[in-house]
Amino acid sequence: MNILEISDLTVRFGGLTAVNAVSLDIPVKEIVSIIGPNGAGKTTLFNAITGIYDPTSGRICFNGEEARRPFRRTTALALALVGLIAGLSLVLIVNVEPLWDTSITSNYVYQQTFLWSNATHAASSYFREETGRRFAIPFLIGALVGLAGAFAIWQRTRRAPEVAARAGIARTFQNIRLFNQMTALDNVLLGMDSQLRTRVWHVALRLPLYWRERDNTVRQAMDILRFVDLDREAQQLAENLSYGHQRRLEIARALAMQPRLLLLDEPAAGMNLAESQELMKLIHDIRDRGITVLLIEHHMQVVMGISDRIAVLDHGEKIAEGNPEAVRSNPKVIEAYLGKS
Amino acid sequence: MSGSEIFLQQLIIGLSNGMIIALIALGYTMVYGIIELINFAHGDLFMLGSFAALTVVGLLGLDHLAAGAPGMWSGLFLMLLIVPLFCGSLNWLADRFAYRHLRDSTKLAPLVSAIGLSFVFMNIGLLWGGVPMNVFGLGRSAASPKDFPALVSNVNLLGQSAVEFTTKDLMVFVITLPLMVLLTWFVKGTRAGKAMRAVAQDRVAARLMGIPVDRVIGQTFLIGGALAGVASVVSSVYNNTIYFQMGYRAGVDAFTAAVFGGIGSLPGAVLGGLVIGLARAMCDQYLETRWTNVLVFTVLILVLVFRPQGLLGARAKEKV
Amino acid sequence: MAAPRRILFHWSFLLVAALIPLIELVLPGHPHVGDLLRPIFIMAMLGLGLNILTGFTGQLNLGVAAFMAVGAYTYAILTCDIYPFRLGFWSATALTVLVGLTVGLFLGLPTIRLRGDYLAIVTLGFGEIVEDVLKNLDSITKGTQGINPLPSPSWFGYHFRAETYQPWYYLFLGFLAVLVLLNRNLQRSRVGRAWISIREDELASSCMGVNPMKMKLLAFALGAAQCSLAGALWASYLGSSGEPGNYDFQVSIIALCIVIVGGMGNVGGVLLGALVIMGFNSIVLETVTNFLKAHQLISSSNVFTAPGNWKYMLYGLALILMMRFRPEGLLPSRQFKAEAHPDEPHSPPTA
Repeated sequence: MNILEISDLTVRFGGLTAVNAVSLDIPVKEIVSIIGPNGAGKTTLFNAITGIYDPTSGRICFNGEEARRPFRRTTALALALVGLIAGLSLVLIVNVEPLWDTSITSNYVYQQTFLWSNATHAASSYFREETGRRFAIPFLIGALVGLAGAFAIWQRTRRAPEVAARAGIARTFQNIRLFNQMTALDNVLLGMDSQLRTRVWHVALRLPLYWRERDNTVRQAMDILRFVDLDREAQQLAENLSYGHQRRLEIARALAMQPRLLLLDEPAAGMNLAESQELMKLIHDIRDRGITVLLIEHHMQVVMGISDRIAVLDHGEKIAEGNPEAVRSNPKVIEAYLGKS
Repeated sequence: MSGSEIFLQQLIIGLSNGMIIALIALGYTMVYGIIELINFAHGDLFMLGSFAALTVVGLLGLDHLAAGAPGMWSGLFLMLLIVPLFCGSLNWLADRFAYRHLRDSTKLAPLVSAIGLSFVFMNIGLLWGGVPMNVFGLGRSAASPKDFPALVSNVNLLGQSAVEFTTKDLMVFVITLPLMVLLTWFVKGTRAGKAMRAVAQDRVAARLMGIPVDRVIGQTFLIGGALAGVASVVSSVYNNTIYFQMGYRAGVDAFTAAVFGGIGSLPGAVLGGLVIGLARAMCDQYLETRWTNVLVFTVLILVLVFRPQGLLGARAKEKV
Repeated sequence: MAAPRRILFHWSFLLVAALIPLIELVLPGHPHVGDLLRPIFIMAMLGLGLNILTGFTGQLNLGVAAFMAVGAYTYAILTCDIYPFRLGFWSATALTVLVGLTVGLFLGLPTIRLRGDYLAIVTLGFGEIVEDVLKNLDSITKGTQGINPLPSPSWFGYHFRAETYQPWYYLFLGFLAVLVLLNRNLQRSRVGRAWISIREDELASSCMGVNPMKMKLLAFALGAAQCSLAGALWASYLGSSGEPGNYDFQVSIIALCIVIVGGMGNVGGVLLGALVIMGFNSIVLETVTNFLKAHQLISSSNVFTAPGNWKYMLYGLALILMMRFRPEGLLPSRQFKAEAHPDEPHSPPTA
């Protein structure tokens, strides 16, 4: 069974084709590596999978469905509601002064009781005259603009990073992107955000759920930090950690999301032999937790040591795929790395 | 006046004002293009330019001559030399002392600094207006609007036609259009312009290629400021009144124009300026003047919802 | 953990503020220093509202004055007896906060996805729109006159009067304390964490499953609600909605100064900022002006002598110099200090 199925994916920026008709299947609970020379389109592929870039064409299916906001009945309802509100608002804006005069001002005698029935009556008779100009036209314009605007916004945010993240895809970045001014613990806690059940009112008023959840999440976060061996650094600001620790913290933050698929972008970059040995063990442990791992890596020792399968990209195209042995001896791969001899 | 004549008249007014807005908008868009900063003080720089122009008029004694007298054109020419130089240098100084140190800090820092500078400029305008010099109308409070003498006559160039296209309108086009062509040539065709575009695209790479980045940014401020200086001369002569808070209004209009056209794009700024100028003129005529500002901003919000990169702007891709 | 000084500042501020009227009673001559503090409380609330969006979330809002105006006018229309609503202080205030929240949501929905600078300009435009609308809708807002007189608040049958300032003082202080508490609670929670992560790195934050649009919208709406609360209280204190010109761009800038001078992203910093900026504006500047007037050092024909004519210069310079030399503010939150001085060595870790 495949957890991720990429079919015929193309990503183009202006005239530049970064990824060209790539198809790739990632089986569940395997460690798959993507290798290739610099500029081969590996990170672009990651960005497309995590919803940062929109594919120009092709499909990315995670767990059998595309990782984008589905068009549900609630979406349609929300769009309709926005349209309705926008229409009514425009009617109100266009008519506000005469409406106020006929319904409020002319029915109110200073400091006498105000009869709301008179006001609503006046308002409805105001709209009964010249219904088209006063009500129908502004309502239609407002509703159309509101509907179109809401739809445009929805369309543009269909494939957003948070959608992919909430579906269960976690990632790290090539150039570490931690929240530098937050502590290591807070970074991990942020990774857990999508699993939290407290809402803003629980938090603002410190309702019981807040306390219960806080204790639980901190305990879980500490567990994750212990798993990557960073529990002693929990209270340090992320930017004060050493490079290797930052790499591990980024993995911990991604693990906190409880992902099904973890994308690692050059996790061993800048590591020495001992450190990359440790990293390989960590990646194995992650897989043993039932998480599929997809990684981009240049360290051939790491790649060959842990991958179940390897895909090779060059100039945005997939030129080879298979187990480490097969890829190692594939002439196309050798050519891509060493050039034609 | 017939309906079509009214429309034509508003078209002329709108285009003239639009050209002035476009000149200011160019300054915004150039600076934004190169360091991604909304130079909030730009509108107030324009205002200070007007006061500088008024001072030049006062020192030359031009306000005593009749409009259109022979000395006027040379006076105008002199103003077009001095005021842009003044505004350009001021803008360069602003970059040197308020923004340059903040290049590598958070994005908010230079913007806040620019807002602060706009207040400083506004205050200078207030005080400048209080300088007891004859042309400023002695005894008036510093804050009240000042009359700018009518240097260019209001003669209708279309003869007896009901539609007015005056010498003033002509002046606006004669000054602004060649300037825009010149600017386009400068940015596209010259070495300095190329350096500017390189810095705008990737500051680090430009520095590695040996481009003196800070100097190029300084030049951009200089040119943007000079454009605002030209705009302030043209606008003062065209509208005949200046006051110390006019920079805010002009700045907001011009920035709206720059965003409208796609900030960072030079043709976009001109297009945006014209659109805003026309929209204002048409709204004044066909709706109500008091709702013009509301309309302009509503249009801005709608543009940003449907086309966040503006009309001619390119959509920026974040590097990951 | 943060140094105790920072944890304690906002509570000690509130405590000292609570004691001031009592101390005055004992002092000879019963000076009314506390009277001058009320605008400071109002502006501190405005600053807190702005701080949510600008300090925590890192999005610049240049239109907080408009939300204050919405609050003041809503409150005025709901309470003034020239309109049929005639609500009491408490229900009107509650409704005003709801209206502010809704207006914030309505403005935020289409605009919140914009990049920082664009958002700044849209909020600025919103400020202009609100000012113009209030001026133009003559029959509803009474144009440039403003809506007045407004009835005084009452509390369990006790009616506030203009002559005794202490009840007002404690009313505003109470509201401020509640806001401080709410803001602290939000900051130290998943909500504050998500806000700060958006400020730090929006893309990484969204890759962690945080929906930046939703969180920014929340910040926008909550900030707007706080600003409109400040507006409602201000209107009740003035006994009038004020005129539209009272809520112009300069008020938004003063609020920004408060947040920046005090320390972005820090509740205590905002209180300190309000104290410094408003204290300067309404106490120092006024005292100097009165002193100069008394000694006839100000002439009406010379603009340079009136201290009020230098006010904007001072605010502007304050902003520029703060950004240059102390961008984290006088009383920074722990995060911002580190962000503002990236090359300085950090304090040793407290493991």
